[in-house]
Amino acid sequence: MAAPVTRLTIRGVIARKWRIFLTILAVVSGVAFVSGAFVLTDSVKKSINDVFATLSEGIDIEVRTSIAFGDEATAERDPVSVDVIDVVAAIDGVRLAEGNLLRAATVIKSDGEPLRTSGPAFGIAWVGPDGLDGRTIVEGRPAAGPSEVTLDKSSARRAGYEVGDTVTIVGPAGKGDFVLVGLNGTGKTTNGGGASIAAFDPVTANEFLGAENMVDSIYVAIDEGADRDAVMAAIDAALPDGLEVITGEQSAEETAGAINDIIDIFGNVLLGFAAVSLFVSAFLIFNTFAIIVSQRLRELALLRAVGASARQIRTMIIGEALVVSVIATLLGILAGMGVAKGIVAIFNAAGAAFPSASLIVSPRTVIASTVVGVGVTVAAAIVPALRAARIPPVAAMRPELGFNSLQKNKRLVVGSITTGIGLVLFSIGVFGQPGGTSGTLGLSAVGAILLFLGIASLSTTVAAPASRVISRVLPLPFRPMTRSVPGRLGSRNAQRTPRRTASTASALMIGLALVSTVSVVASSVQASFKEQLQGSVTADFFVSNGPGNFQGLPVAFSERLSELPELSAVSPFRAATAQVNGDTKQIGAVRGSAFGQLVDIDLTSGSVESLDDGKILLHRDPARDYAVQVGDTLSILWLNGTEQQIEVGGIYDDATIAGNWLVGLSTLQAVSTATPTDFFIGAKIADGVDIEDARAAVEEVALDFPSAEVQDQAEFQQSQEDQLNQLLIIIYGLLIISIAIAVLGIANTMALSVFERTREFGLLRAVGMSKRDLKRSIRWEAVIVAVFGASLGIIVGIPLGLAVTTALPSTFITTTVVPVNTIIVILIASIIVGVVAAMPARRAARLNVLDAISTH
Amino acid sequence: MTSLSTAAAGAIDAFKIYGKDDSEVRALDGVTVTFASGKFTAIMGPSGSGKSTLMHCLAGLDSLTSGSITIGDTNLATLNDKELTLTRRSNVGFIFQAYNLIPTLTALENITLPLDLGGTPVDQQWLDTVVDAVGLRSRLNHRPSELSGGQQQRVAVARALASKPRIIFADEPTGNLDSRMGTEILTFMRHAVTDLGQTIVMVTHDPVAASYADRVIFLADGKIVDELDNPTADQVLDRMKRLGS
Repeated sequence: MAAPVTRLTIRGVIARKWRIFLTILAVVSGVAFVSGAFVLTDSVKKSINDVFATLSEGIDIEVRTSIAFGDEATAERDPVSVDVIDVVAAIDGVRLAEGNLLRAATVIKSDGEPLRTSGPAFGIAWVGPDGLDGRTIVEGRPAAGPSEVTLDKSSARRAGYEVGDTVTIVGPAGKGDFVLVGLNGTGKTTNGGGASIAAFDPVTANEFLGAENMVDSIYVAIDEGADRDAVMAAIDAALPDGLEVITGEQSAEETAGAINDIIDIFGNVLLGFAAVSLFVSAFLIFNTFAIIVSQRLRELALLRAVGASARQIRTMIIGEALVVSVIATLLGILAGMGVAKGIVAIFNAAGAAFPSASLIVSPRTVIASTVVGVGVTVAAAIVPALRAARIPPVAAMRPELGFNSLQKNKRLVVGSITTGIGLVLFSIGVFGQPGGTSGTLGLSAVGAILLFLGIASLSTTVAAPASRVISRVLPLPFRPMTRSVPGRLGSRNAQRTPRRTASTASALMIGLALVSTVSVVASSVQASFKEQLQGSVTADFFVSNGPGNFQGLPVAFSERLSELPELSAVSPFRAATAQVNGDTKQIGAVRGSAFGQLVDIDLTSGSVESLDDGKILLHRDPARDYAVQVGDTLSILWLNGTEQQIEVGGIYDDATIAGNWLVGLSTLQAVSTATPTDFFIGAKIADGVDIEDARAAVEEVALDFPSAEVQDQAEFQQSQEDQLNQLLIIIYGLLIISIAIAVLGIANTMALSVFERTREFGLLRAVGMSKRDLKRSIRWEAVIVAVFGASLGIIVGIPLGLAVTTALPSTFITTTVVPVNTIIVILIASIIVGVVAAMPARRAARLNVLDAISTH
Repeated sequence: MTSLSTAAAGAIDAFKIYGKDDSEVRALDGVTVTFASGKFTAIMGPSGSGKSTLMHCLAGLDSLTSGSITIGDTNLATLNDKELTLTRRSNVGFIFQAYNLIPTLTALENITLPLDLGGTPVDQQWLDTVVDAVGLRSRLNHRPSELSGGQQQRVAVARALASKPRIIFADEPTGNLDSRMGTEILTFMRHAVTDLGQTIVMVTHDPVAASYADRVIFLADGKIVDELDNPTADQVLDRMKRLGS
């Protein structure tokens, strides 16, 4: 026979299964995000690592230029001269050495539009049927000679080409027409993993891709039986300075690692969803158990009376939470697999071509999900369990003696202290910013959590008076509500149990506090960004690659634009990585003679033209940090190891477009042999030239660069704002989940409390209240609770948002905006939330009057 | 008066005072009483006389303002919550007016609940005796919601008896039952005392119920005002009338 406490626990859960259903749902959603994050990252990483392992199977050794600092995988390396291939090939033990060349090249579809891909668009050198790069021919034959090409099968299909067709391709040096002689594949797949791949023979590739007799790296296969370490040492000894030798495995690992980092970002976003939804769920769980305990007052007291110890009661309630959490965790893990599968499917539908992967549920996934699911549920049930254990046995006969709740004063003190500590931690995190980004995020997150808990506890004190005020103020537009019996009952019920009203409202409070905080910050960033853009953009045209294309424009474009008589000033914007006094920075490169006319960077000293004299310009923040002024020199270490002492030629105030560091194009070109691409090109119309004529001239050049997009000033500003807005949509999406759970919470509490008041409703119906009025009363109560939670959330969230905007550097925030419209929408939405949340409770109105009053 | 050594429970100078000063209510106002082992005692009195409070304090469910309560040789005032729980578990049985059973447990599980909670092995022979005596053999696997009110109350009586407690307290056990069911329960309680040697203290305001007892104690305004041995219903009614006037 099972131990009585276990039996009571399990029976308790079964008997209340519908009442804890919503609780389970809330926990499931949180756990699903946790397990989804891990399943997704594990599965996709595994399959991507497999692909790279297959691709690099034939590569024993890779030769490439070394970098001075930074991430091996993502660095923009200088290329290697083709002469080195022969040097490497001549080494004893080398069976095959081939140049690997991969550059941006866009395929023009048969309808004349550029082919859009979810990945990059590449042109590569085809090194032969025994190629080490894992590329294969799946149809036709490889390209040979200056007028032939092969495309990856899926790109060819999407572009509308078949073998034998003529394909237009735009490379770094311009446009070219090629005959499609075959279709290529990568490893075992017939697509390029989301990229488009155009393969030429090495000579053609060198020419068309503008490689100038350089390759990106050299792939080496060794003779059978040769000692790899010895061959590597021999190659290393023969190489000129600035080149390095690595194993094929290491190369594959680095490439896969870089992609894994991107996958991790998705994982982290999901974990963020998990954190928010679990935090809000904790309130729902707490609430459900608190209500279940109070509903079972007599049962628990009876157990105490017949000999159950306080500890047995505690164990029983926590045990129920445990059962709930285990069920929810199991469902959550399953749901997480669904989430992972769904995300892969969504990305594949968008063309990402993730290799099809079986889902991996690692022990870590199960452990993390269980810790989180069980931990949060049980932690949230502890207080109700302790409260249950304090129920005196005499309550079995006198339920009115049931609870001696935490004294008001004690709660005020505890709540205030928690709120205070939270506030202090949050302030330290946001303003002090100790320990960099992670320290700031960690401290302010812990601070915010404590703050929310503290306010949730304090809100009990104001719940009753606040409900009264809300019930007076809210119905002003529909006055009769306050006077009517349902209106009065609903409002009184919201005031009757302030603790429940407060904890029900808490979940919504947190969700909306987060929304308010984010919307203050977001509106301020948006407004500041817009203001800065308007103040700083003076160029008439901007040319960039279309949205979602991060490859940059071929340098030839800006060179051609510079020749147009219709334009007076043209400057590209390039980026390079360098270390300034040991810190890694992104440095922009522009044409000093033109940039000053295109972007107003608010120069406070020096001149923009000094860039062309090999000087550096910097924003006032780094100027302050490095304590430099015009005339001082900074030590710049470029990625390829070149070190330079560069004189400061100017200091500026506006970094919106320029970023924090600027050098001249000539400086960058002198240092690096890497093929440059331009982020964007700015252009100014020459005096006396009509804007339409100028645009026509620019557009004509753009015909040869089909992926380029020409924008005038207004269009450019709009597109920049659109990019920011897209980011904000993701953040709002995350917060909507927290609100959805809060709605579940209110619905749950309403349903439970209505169940608890069955007899009361029966009585009301018996003395003549209509079903309709009863429903109205319940709905009104839910609306009051929801508006209370929303108001608290806004009151807490707006100051938090203002604090964050104050703490953000002035480069981001110049104006602070409180989004009044958003707040009004939130308040109106909360009324709707109340109405929706009252729906499950409407069952009460359908109760048979006799049944209701005869219930024990 | 019975000698203390055979007393199952008792109260000495028991005071239970709610509120202070003007609003002071003396629910128990100096009650001294003992309950003999193997006897069936009824406590009667009008509403607010303190009879329920007396029983709650005797059973260790509530505490006195001053005075002492003993169950067997144990003074309840010296016990903490855990020891009180253990005392209730092993020495005291309860029968309430309503809501006597845990709805999620079967009749049998309800009956053995106090034993199971204490981890005490079930004395199968005694359990059979009790189950047969209350006539529930065929309903043992039913949930309370599947039992009639009288059946539920019989399960409660069986539960109170199952652990062979030193004393059983019954709070208006027939209050929610029709007279036929009530008679059945009372007859069974009488049987438990006479034939099974149990000790029962019952709070009631039904003179007929009280007539099943060996002795009736009358309470008014927190004090014992009268008592009656081997009562009949008429005698009890008569005393009650006098108390009311």
